Amino acid sequence: MNMSSAHKSNLGWSAVGAVCAIVLALLWAAPLLWALSTALRPELETVSADFHWLPQAWTLDAFRKTLAAGNLLRWLFNSALVALSVTVVTMAISLMAAYAFSQLRFRGKGILFALAMLAFLLPFEALLVPLFRTMNQLGMINSYAGIVLPQVVSPVVIYVFKQFFDEIPADFREAAVMDGAGPLRVLWSVYLPISGNIVWAMAIVTFIAAWNNFLWPFIIVTSTDMMTIPLGLTQTYDAFGVRYAQLMAAALLGAFPVALAYILFQKKVTQGFLAASGLK
Amino acid sequence: MQRAESSIAAATGSPRREGLPALLLLAPFLAAFILFFLVPAFETFWLSLTESSLTRTNGFVGLANYATLVQDPSFWDALGNTFYFALLTVIPLTAIGLLMAMLVNHFVRAQGWLQGVFFLPFVLPISVMTLIADWMLQPSSGVINHILGGQRPWLADPSWALPAVAIGTVWWTVGFNMLLFLAGLRNIPAEQYEAAALDGASGWTLFRHITWPALRPVTTTALILQLIASLKVFGQTYILTSGGPFNTTRVTLHYMYETAFTQSDAGYAAAIAMAFVAVVILLSLLQVWLVRYLARRDA
Amino acid sequence: MASVRLRGIEKRYGDNLVIKGIDLDIEDGQFVVFVGPSGCGKSTLLRMIAGLEDISSGTLELDGKVCNGVEPAKRGIAMVFQSYALYPHMTVAENMGFALKLAKVPQAEIGERVRRAADALQIGHLLERKPKALSGGQRQRVAIGRAIVRKPEVFLFDEPLSNLDAALRAQTRVELAHLHRELGSTMIYVTHDQVEAMTLGQKIVVFNGGRIEQVGTPLELYERPANLFVAGFLGSPRMNVIPVTLAGEEGDAAVVRLPDGSTAAVAAGAGRLAPGAALRLGLRPEHLRLASTGFGATVGLVEYLGDVTLVHVQVPGVDGMLAVKVYSGGPAPASGSRVALAFDPARAYLFDESGAALSSTTAHAAAL
Repeated sequence: MNMSSAHKSNLGWSAVGAVCAIVLALLWAAPLLWALSTALRPELETVSADFHWLPQAWTLDAFRKTLAAGNLLRWLFNSALVALSVTVVTMAISLMAAYAFSQLRFRGKGILFALAMLAFLLPFEALLVPLFRTMNQLGMINSYAGIVLPQVVSPVVIYVFKQFFDEIPADFREAAVMDGAGPLRVLWSVYLPISGNIVWAMAIVTFIAAWNNFLWPFIIVTSTDMMTIPLGLTQTYDAFGVRYAQLMAAALLGAFPVALAYILFQKKVTQGFLAASGLK
Repeated sequence: MQRAESSIAAATGSPRREGLPALLLLAPFLAAFILFFLVPAFETFWLSLTESSLTRTNGFVGLANYATLVQDPSFWDALGNTFYFALLTVIPLTAIGLLMAMLVNHFVRAQGWLQGVFFLPFVLPISVMTLIADWMLQPSSGVINHILGGQRPWLADPSWALPAVAIGTVWWTVGFNMLLFLAGLRNIPAEQYEAAALDGASGWTLFRHITWPALRPVTTTALILQLIASLKVFGQTYILTSGGPFNTTRVTLHYMYETAFTQSDAGYAAAIAMAFVAVVILLSLLQVWLVRYLARRDA
Repeated sequence: MASVRLRGIEKRYGDNLVIKGIDLDIEDGQFVVFVGPSGCGKSTLLRMIAGLEDISSGTLELDGKVCNGVEPAKRGIAMVFQSYALYPHMTVAENMGFALKLAKVPQAEIGERVRRAADALQIGHLLERKPKALSGGQRQRVAIGRAIVRKPEVFLFDEPLSNLDAALRAQTRVELAHLHRELGSTMIYVTHDQVEAMTLGQKIVVFNGGRIEQVGTPLELYERPANLFVAGFLGSPRMNVIPVTLAGEEGDAAVVRLPDGSTAAVAAGAGRLAPGAALRLGLRPEHLRLASTGFGATVGLVEYLGDVTLVHVQVPGVDGMLAVKVYSGGPAPASGSRVALAFDPARAYLFDESGAALSSTTAHAAAL
């Protein structure tokens, strides 16, 4: 096969590929776009027999009503509080633990680390019942602490940080030790700044995961005003009845913070998820 | 590594002296780990051997729960539904994910946009997906029926409920697979393609002889990760169909939830959980073994 | 007083004894070089002195005080790492001031000391830059500056020049020597490069396989190597070694039989060795000359280096080539031609089977 026909064949593939890409992109963007289109039209239009892709009458009514219905803002606040708390606490305890596992020498380190990584194997879902019982005994049902605390145990994050710390040349730590820094100081002044990127990546990923967590809040929250967004959005049928414009508005509002986080930090999110899945 | 380890030990005098800072650093994680993982883990095991309600433990019953489990048609149905769901999702997720990754990898200039469109659904909360899916699948005003014609109530149809949820799940989570494959594709050295191009290969040949073999480890990882994630499905079926119609979408975890929280039978639910864990562990080990086997075979 | 005393220092990794008993005295203000091939343990020893490695047994005294378990920062020691180990997220000024900050020295004094050290090293204009914006040579100065600022009793250098190119290395060598003269501090310098060792060291410690082979001034080590290893390690090209047997004695010189059967005198004492004993004759390339009579050799490769020509010859009965330095002005023979080699008995060395040098006789000593 001579080069020009190979070239032509590549062009052919490129064209097919381009069509594929466009079709797939449209397919994937369609649900959200359709949700947006629905949310921007009057309620009556959504159920009318006369079908239109775009709103005949553009209106922000649905958004206004959704926000006014009261609970959405409360749920957004709850989600923000919970997600932020989970992120901050997880980062703090994971960084400290990862540093200890990576750089310090102590008895039982191997066993402890293996134990912590065991949590990979055991899915969270299997622990729901006893966790509920424990929370009950601690009086933390339907409380922020109750929602946040079980989520801060993240072997994945520790594993990612430990791998990263392992790769940092020992020279930096030794120089810091020669300069008189103790282990905590070395972590704070040397390892943390060097790890900036990966810490941000895991922080954002943890934030998104915490925001989107459905299962645990579903178990632990018992009153509407303590719900997080994923939970709250399932309540919208009761709140709005079958009012699709409002439902879509609620969905989009609930999606907005994490979508924004992704759009702003696309690279970090990608990096974080890849690291968490064990690939680099 | 040896040097690194002993140097810090020496720096603080002895391994024992490093135990204290290590303890301080590990304490918060250990506390949370013990309270919210270790203890519940043991408790699940122990609960499965008892007859208990959500709030009280009534008595030790040995393997009675497991005996019931093995003969419980609802459990096996639920397990069947779960595997059916996995079957419906794993292959599309892998195939589409790979296709997307190849497209993103190829169209470099549009990469940000393309990747963004494919991945964005993955960062959305589950209930956003369910709300939109429910809306789109509405029998009379839903857009799906508008395109396909008819008034079929997808989510209320026993044959279509689970597949519908599966399709929604594919839309929701394929972005993650795309990422995995993208990383895998990027790890293939360009020289391999260049050498093959010089040999006159192109298009399908390139894919079959270079891309696909190089992607085998990633594909295996992606397949197994997806499989395990599919087994853990709960939210979508609970929210969209409440496990119906006629329990056709009641998956294992849903059954466990019902047993624990609706029937307040914590002991039996724990047994279900243990069985579930066993299946997950088995499949995880399968992945490790498969990856190693393939690596050895290719070596 | 910043003296360093090592007694019976040993280092074990599991069952592996890597440092096999080191006794060494370093006086205040000395520039001591640890030199040896890779893996000989010189870096490990340095790190034990620094406190970065455990000492398995033996005592380390700094200034007369035992400090085996003392934290590195409290030993009055500063180290310059081979990779410089500059904190990438800190500016040069912050890098240099970090140790002082940890020691809670007042900010004003930190600024003062950093500035003075930076000026001395001519990096004062780089204080606000980050390490990645610096060249290799500049980074190295920052690493040295970081050590100077702490005013340590002992400076430790771990192969600091190995990441620099040849020209920079030569220049920095001179500057380091100058630095030592200025500060007058005790300096321990690790390198595998014998040129650095010879030019910088007041005292050289040659290591091999976890043991000290010899300690001495450059002159002592070069002219009176205690064994074959030291003789072969210092000097470039390496000392030529010819297997010989002891033929007898002539006065206070030993007579050896060369592989081609001829005999030659060497100004070394045969001691208690019997005739026929297998020995090795050591001749530095500069002490071999092309003569009209001597033992025969065939010229192999001729390397013209400008000021000196290296003639590599093949001697029957000897594995490998011998190197002969011919200084400019001398005739350079053609490859393949037969030549005769001669040497001054006072400049030859004899080593017994274990590699130890046979003591030189008074004639030998007088020739030096």
